[in-house]
Amino acid sequence: MKKQETEKSKTNRRNFLKLGLMSSVTVVAGTSLISNLSSIGEEEKTSGEKVRLLTPDGKMVEVDAENINKYPEALITPAEARKGIPDRKFVMVIDLAKCKNARKCVEGCQKGHNLDYHEEFMKVQLIQNNEESDPYWFPKPCFHCDEPPCVTVCPTGATFKRDDGIVLIDNERCIGCKFCMTSCPYSAREFNWGPKNKFEDKSQPYSPETQVPAAEGTVMKCDFCPDLLRQGKLPYCAQSCPMGVIYFGDKNEDIVTNGEETVRFSELINDRGGYRYLEHLGTKPNVYYLPPVNKQFPLERGFDHDKEILERYKDVPYVQELIKQKKIKL
Amino acid sequence: MKSNLFKYNFITSFIVALCFITNGFAQKTDASNYRMKFKFKTVKQKDNSRLLEVSFIGQNKKNRKDKVPVYNAEINFYNTLNEDEKLLGTSKTSKEGIAQLVLQKNQNYLTDKNGYINLKAEFKGTDAIDEEDSEIAVKDINLELNLKEIDSVKTGIITAYTIDSVGVKTPVEEAEVIISIKSMLSNMKIKEGTIENGKYEFEFPTDIPGDANNNIIVYSSIEDSDDFGNVIQEKSANWGVFKKEIKKNKNTLWSKAAPLWMYIVLTILLVGVWANYMYTIINLFKISKEGKELILNSEE
Amino acid sequence: MNVKTRKRELVKEFSPMLEKTRFTTKIWIGVLLAIILVGLYAFALQVIKGHAVTGMRNNVVWGLYIINFIFFVGVSYSGAFISALLHFYKTPWKTSVSRIVEIITVLSIIVGPVFILLCIGRLDRLYFLFIYPRIQSPITWDIIAIITDLIGCFIYLYLTFIPDFAILRDSKKLNIPIWRKKLYRFLAANYQDTPTQRKKLHKITGTMSKMVIAMAIVAYTVLAWIFSLTLQPGWNSTIFAPYFIVAGLYSGICVIIIAMYLTRKYFNLEKYIIRSHFIWAGAFFLIISLLYGYFTFSDYFAKWFSHKSGDINLLETLFDRYFWEFIFANYLGVILPLVILSIKKLRTIKLITFAAVIGVLGLWLNRYLIVIPTLETPYLPIQDTRPEFIHYTATWVEWSLTFAGIASFLLLFTLIIKFIPVVPISGIIDREREINDAKLKSE
Repeated sequence: MKKQETEKSKTNRRNFLKLGLMSSVTVVAGTSLISNLSSIGEEEKTSGEKVRLLTPDGKMVEVDAENINKYPEALITPAEARKGIPDRKFVMVIDLAKCKNARKCVEGCQKGHNLDYHEEFMKVQLIQNNEESDPYWFPKPCFHCDEPPCVTVCPTGATFKRDDGIVLIDNERCIGCKFCMTSCPYSAREFNWGPKNKFEDKSQPYSPETQVPAAEGTVMKCDFCPDLLRQGKLPYCAQSCPMGVIYFGDKNEDIVTNGEETVRFSELINDRGGYRYLEHLGTKPNVYYLPPVNKQFPLERGFDHDKEILERYKDVPYVQELIKQKKIKL
Repeated sequence: MKSNLFKYNFITSFIVALCFITNGFAQKTDASNYRMKFKFKTVKQKDNSRLLEVSFIGQNKKNRKDKVPVYNAEINFYNTLNEDEKLLGTSKTSKEGIAQLVLQKNQNYLTDKNGYINLKAEFKGTDAIDEEDSEIAVKDINLELNLKEIDSVKTGIITAYTIDSVGVKTPVEEAEVIISIKSMLSNMKIKEGTIENGKYEFEFPTDIPGDANNNIIVYSSIEDSDDFGNVIQEKSANWGVFKKEIKKNKNTLWSKAAPLWMYIVLTILLVGVWANYMYTIINLFKISKEGKELILNSEE
Repeated sequence: MNVKTRKRELVKEFSPMLEKTRFTTKIWIGVLLAIILVGLYAFALQVIKGHAVTGMRNNVVWGLYIINFIFFVGVSYSGAFISALLHFYKTPWKTSVSRIVEIITVLSIIVGPVFILLCIGRLDRLYFLFIYPRIQSPITWDIIAIITDLIGCFIYLYLTFIPDFAILRDSKKLNIPIWRKKLYRFLAANYQDTPTQRKKLHKITGTMSKMVIAMAIVAYTVLAWIFSLTLQPGWNSTIFAPYFIVAGLYSGICVIIIAMYLTRKYFNLEKYIIRSHFIWAGAFFLIISLLYGYFTFSDYFAKWFSHKSGDINLLETLFDRYFWEFIFANYLGVILPLVILSIKKLRTIKLITFAAVIGVLGLWLNRYLIVIPTLETPYLPIQDTRPEFIHYTATWVEWSLTFAGIASFLLLFTLIIKFIPVVPISGIIDREREINDAKLKSE
């Protein structure tokens, strides 16, 4: 019994140190956040997987974006990742009126989670509610439901829901039965179907909070980027959206931000008619949508992408009409 | 950060080498395609220290969206008065193109006769990138924020004044001030107002949750003022109305432990079935034993 | 009636099956082994190259493997059900077919779960199911149910084998290798067919048969729940558990009819497996097929009538992309047995077997239509450019493993009936004894 206690206090101290480190990081990040958010944000958007820099002698160099697990000493182990950030309840609000399918959220997320071209935790779908209404762009992350069917059916507890509302996957526990994928009504999960070189990259230790490195034969999905949240930063998708579509924050604080403006969550939802997708299924998502009213961009603006991406939407009747009118080319 | 550059030094050197090759044909350096943006600002922080900050970023002349930070450039910060230049310190730009210098609150500044501190940031320039400098003049302002309950109304009182060399306080005539509160990921503006004759009072909203202990960190700040630059002050108050969710340790379908009835039903079913298997196997042994005795008897 | 001489006669009658391996049998076993070897190669490929070699992708995450799994487990469950019924009711004609049914039951519960293993991404972590179990997951229930069912079926099968093992042990003239004799001796567990031993054995076999019926229902219900407890349109149906049970019985009776036909042909068992066996099995088949049609109709009718958008998307897919499969599985599989069995002239052994073959294929397709189209029509439309992510097409790896599964089922069946008489000798004797006793009583 005593032994257990001393061990407990040890881990507590370790956690405390960790938190201390994190919060000091937050302060540093915070000060530069106030002044430089816009410039940093734009820089990340224009670069690929690397960050380009100019040296004083006028040369362009490329270095790896340090986004992933910037602070390996503060790594959250699979066991610790099950607890969640104390007293938080994370929530996302997506303003459909502002989305123009710039796909920066998808790209930012892929970069941050070391995902390949077709691996998307955040998907942008083209949804048409009925024949009369125009379709709209629909960014779809994992909804981190409060009644998560995926967690219910997991036979090993590899996927779990934490106290801060985040649903994560421990890919060291996952046996790859894919039951969670069939039970998710929102198709939020991805499976690693075959071996890939990136799985072997052990340069950083695995954490369910970063999902890097991924593993063959296991499931992965949007994780709300808890590693960034611990540093006081927005998830990759919210950071990289140029239109400020994605608001993120803590429901307990009742404050959400898209990086540009910070607003009360309850006011945003109540004033703008916020809703949850497929509410009738009873999964109680933690992602809210603001309806696509007074859309800021014509739908056609979202078609400035590779053919590979555009062909996804060719079955939507509205898009077929656009193709017929030669407004967009496929 | 350095270590990271070294880690990828193969890639870096490869790219650098590539740059050299292309340089021979095209222009002198990569930087010549970029117009440099050199921005200098100063923030007076809550502990009355002063932050000097330069953002040094190149913007592509053709594609204005293409911005690249200048990394590892040495920036000198000066306090100037007429012809005098006092070096305050030197800092190098980060990967974000930011160079920062923090001056403690007891720092002595040269001030002109109107009470302005003249600050200058300078990049000396190289063969590839031209010299850059930028100057600002600010008055050293003291911003105080007090949070009090007056007649059970949660009130914030902001006072702002300057102190001259002999220690006389002069209230600030007029300045725009922003009140915000801290949240996990950003700060939320709750009010904007004007300090008049050194004072501004505001009523604090009553429905802000704050953190789990009902604490709220409140900021008052002056932003990009011509006279004062940036000034920020913070205070904490126990004014939150955080509703701590009573953690129900209920066993649910998705929690680690299942609802009790599931364990009961499963146990009953399994015990029933396996008891039957055991019964069958025991009887099987009995049959076998009986047969064995029979064989022994017949052999006798 | 002299039991000993009768036993000797019967052993002599069945000994060719046990002693010699015909040339055609050797070829048959060779072919099966070849199919299994190809399957093993496919499996190795799947282990090395990952599940990318299958047709399964992010939307259709379960494919042929899970279909085969529910198919085989369904056959096993219905075999257990039918065999226990036969035992329970002491039907006069049970003797000749009961062993076939029992072997089918055990073999399919061995082959079935292998398919679910093929479906698992990390086989190396399979033991996590036991060290980190979550009682809420239907998969956990399924694992418990299948393991319990498997052991129960094994015990039950063994109990029914014991008297025959004893007879074979006592037949000194049987021309078989020593190891087999030793094995019979061991397996017979000192059974001497004394009245007390016989009474005890009958008693425990009786309780086990009831147990096996209950187990089978529970196991197959849990399997149905894997689908019906999710929120997916087409799966989330309250009648799925009874529907699966009826469908399982349907596939089971079909497989039994086919097995009866083949063993009868192969071993010339016309004396034991008679036309009335087929008529009786056919009647059962007819009743079950009507029930199966009724459940299928109820399920789809409710979906069509209530017109929820998810259900309608599913029905549109079924009647568009899967039109012929749907017709075959859900119309032909019901109408054909109805026609063949209600017209007296058509009620021949061959035609009943033909109906059973169609029934098996139809039911397998029915499972396919339950699993695949639902996964192809999720709530959120699939917007993808990669065809394999939109529609499922099984690859050769999955097909060859499917055939390897069927082949190993057939191989094991062939080997078992080389090891023990396909018609239980003890059963024949028991039956004759009963008739004798009845005669004595009436006299």
